[in-house]
Amino acid sequence: MTVLPYAVAVWLLLVGLYGVVTSRHLVHLVVCLAVVQSSTYVLLLAVGYRSGALPPVFAGEPAHIRAVDPVVQALTLTDVVVEAAVTALLLAIVVQIHKRFGTLDPDRLQRLRR
Amino acid sequence: MSLLGPLAVATALLGAAAALSLSVLRPPRIVLDALATSCAAVVLGLTTSLLVASGRGPVISWFGGWLPRRGIALGVDFAVDPLGAGMAALAAALTLAALVFIWRALDHAHGLLHALLLVFLAAMVGLALTGDLFDLFVFFELMSVCAYALTAFRIEDQGPLQGALVFAVTNTVGAFLVLTGIALLYGRTGTLNLVQLGMTLHRHPHPEGLVVVAFASIAAGLLVKAGVAPFHFWVADAETVAPTPVCALFSGVLAPLGLYALARITWTVFLPALGPRASIITWPLLAMGTASVVIGSLMCWWQRNLKRQLAFSTVAHSGLILLGVALLRPVGLAGAAVYLLGYGLIKGSLFLSVGALMHRFGGRVDEDALCGQGRGLRGLGVLTALGGLGLAGLPPFAAFVGKSMIDRGANGPALVLVAAAAVLGSVVTGATVLRVAARVYLGLGRQPTGAVHRHGSRRPGEAEPEGRSGPVPLTMLVPVGGLLLAAAVAGVAAPVRSGAARAAAAVAQPVAMAQLVLDGRPMTAPAITVAAPDAADWVLGLGSAAAAVALAGAGLAAAAPTRARGSRRLRNGLRSLHSGHPGDYVTWIVVGTAALGGVLGLGLR
Repeated sequence: MTVLPYAVAVWLLLVGLYGVVTSRHLVHLVVCLAVVQSSTYVLLLAVGYRSGALPPVFAGEPAHIRAVDPVVQALTLTDVVVEAAVTALLLAIVVQIHKRFGTLDPDRLQRLRR
Repeated sequence: MSLLGPLAVATALLGAAAALSLSVLRPPRIVLDALATSCAAVVLGLTTSLLVASGRGPVISWFGGWLPRRGIALGVDFAVDPLGAGMAALAAALTLAALVFIWRALDHAHGLLHALLLVFLAAMVGLALTGDLFDLFVFFELMSVCAYALTAFRIEDQGPLQGALVFAVTNTVGAFLVLTGIALLYGRTGTLNLVQLGMTLHRHPHPEGLVVVAFASIAAGLLVKAGVAPFHFWVADAETVAPTPVCALFSGVLAPLGLYALARITWTVFLPALGPRASIITWPLLAMGTASVVIGSLMCWWQRNLKRQLAFSTVAHSGLILLGVALLRPVGLAGAAVYLLGYGLIKGSLFLSVGALMHRFGGRVDEDALCGQGRGLRGLGVLTALGGLGLAGLPPFAAFVGKSMIDRGANGPALVLVAAAAVLGSVVTGATVLRVAARVYLGLGRQPTGAVHRHGSRRPGEAEPEGRSGPVPLTMLVPVGGLLLAAAVAGVAAPVRSGAARAAAAVAQPVAMAQLVLDGRPMTAPAITVAAPDAADWVLGLGSAAAAVALAGAGLAAAAPTRARGSRRLRNGLRSLHSGHPGDYVTWIVVGTAALGGVLGLGLR
C-alpha cells in the first residue's frame, strides 16, 4: 500500500475547494466542484485497491484469487451518475443566470442582487 | 409488513413517473393535482402504518433476498424504527399539505412540479428508512437534486436562480464531505451497513484519528443540509426565493432530515466506535447549536421579508434540535424527535400561510408593505398567530413537549446552556411571527410610508402571481389549519411521547440493535419513562408564550428599527456575512469543517 493515491485525493479536494472559493466565473466554479468530486473517486478506488490483484471477475476462476474490491467500483460508478445529474443541473442554472443577469462573475452577480 | 417501506418509496416514484408521462398529454390541471395528491396520501398511509408496526420492534427488509449470513450483512436493507418511520410520515404529511395547497396556487405549475415533489418525497422517505450508509448518501443526493430544481422552479426570475445556485454549490460541497467520510469508514471496516459499521468499530477499543476525521466530514456535510451555523448561509437565500409550498418542505422536513441523518449515524456508528470517549463530540455540537440559535433568532427578528424571517427561524430551530441530539442521552434524543415533529408541522403551516398571503397580494411579502392589508382575512390571521405561539412553545403543541424532554436530558452547565438557548430561540422566533401577524392582520404598529407602500422592498424576481380578491381558498386554509391541528394532537397524545422515548432507548443500544438486525437475536431495550410535562414545564411554556407576546408588543411599539449603535453594528456585521456569494459560503464550510475536526482531534489526545 502506498500513500500516493490518498495524497492525490487530499490535494484534489483542497485545490478544488480553493477554486470554488476564489472563482470569478460560474462555469469555472462548477468545474472546480467537479475537481472536488474527483477526489472522492480517487479516494474510493484507493480504498479498494490491492497491489498485484486481479480484476474482480470470478467467472471460471478459482474462488480464492486475489481481486480488488468490486464494491468501491460500484460506489464510484454511482457517485459518477449522481454527480453527473448535479453538474448538469448546475450548468443549466448557470446558462439561465447568464441570460437573466448578463454576467457570470459571482462578485458582480452579488452586486446586482443588492 | 416488511414491504411497507419499499412500497412507500416505490409509490412516490411511480406517481412521479405517471405525472410526468401524463403531462405530455396536456391534461386538465385537476388530473395532475388529483394524481399527485392521492399518491402522497397513499405514502402517508403506508408510512403511518409502518410507524405503528415499528412500535412493536424494528421492521427490517433485505432487498433481493440477500439476507445476512453468520451475522454479516451481504445486501442492503431498510431497518425501520419509530424514529425513522415518524420522519417519513412527517415528510409525507408535509408533502401532502403542499400538494393540496398548490391546487389553487402556482398557476403555471404543470406535471413537472408534481413529479419533482413526488421524487423529492420518495427520496426523503428512503433517507429516513434506510439502514445502509451508501444508500443514505444516494437518497440524500436525490433529495438534494430535487430541492435544487424546485428552488429554481421559476427559472425566468433572477432571485430563484441566484438562490438555487448558492443552495446547489454549498450543498454539493457538503455531499462530497459526507462521501469522503463514508469512503474512510468503508476503508476501515469493509462494510456499509449502519449497524454492522457500529459493531465492527466497537470491537476496536481505541478510537483513532481516522474515525474522528470521518465523523467530522460526515457531520459537517449533514449540518450543511440542516442549516446549522456556520454552515447555514444558504438557507435564507434558498427559502426566500423557492415557491412557498416548497419552502414549507425545506424548512419543515429537509433541514430536519439533515439532523435526523446525523443523529442516526452518530448513535449507530460513532458512539459505539468512540466508546467512553464519546463525550468529545458533545461540546462542539452544543457550541454550533447555540450559535445557530443566537444567529437565527437575531437575524429572524431583524428581517422584514416574511419568507426570510421564517428561513432564519429554520436556522434557530435546527440549532435547538441539534442541542437535543448533542446531549448524547436517550431522553435528549427522544425530546429532539418530538420537538422536530412539532416544529416541522408548525413551520410547514406558517410557510403555507405566507403562501396564502402571496397568493392574495401578488408576491409582496414585505412586512411594511403588507401592514394592515390582511384585515379581512380573520381565519388566516388566527392560524398564523396560533402558529407563532406554537413556535414560542405554547402548550399543548408538540414543540412544547419536546422542549421539556430536551431539558430533562441535560444536567450541569449543559442544562443552563440548553434551557437558555431553547427559551431564546423559541421566544424570539415566535415573537417575530406574532409581530408580523399583528401588523398584517390587525394593522398595528408603525405605519408604512408611501414610498415603501408603492414599491415594497420586493427584489426583482420574487413575484408570485398577481394579487386577487375574495376569501382565501379552502384548499389553502385546510392545509394551514390541518398541520397546526396535527402539531397540537402530537403534543397531547401520550403515545407520541412514550413511543419516542422507547425508540430512543433502543437506538441507544447499538450493539443489541445490530445483533437483532443481523442475527435476529431479540433485544430488550431498557424501558425509559418520560413523565408528562409537569407544572414547572407548563409555567415555562406559558411564560415563553407570554414573553413572545410581550416581545412582539415591544417590537410593534418601537417607532422605528432600533438606533442603538452597538446593535446596529452587530446587525450590519451579521447581515454582511450573509452575502449571497457562493465563494464566501463555501469558505465558511471549509473553516467550520476544519474547526470541527481540529477540536475533535484535540479532544481525542
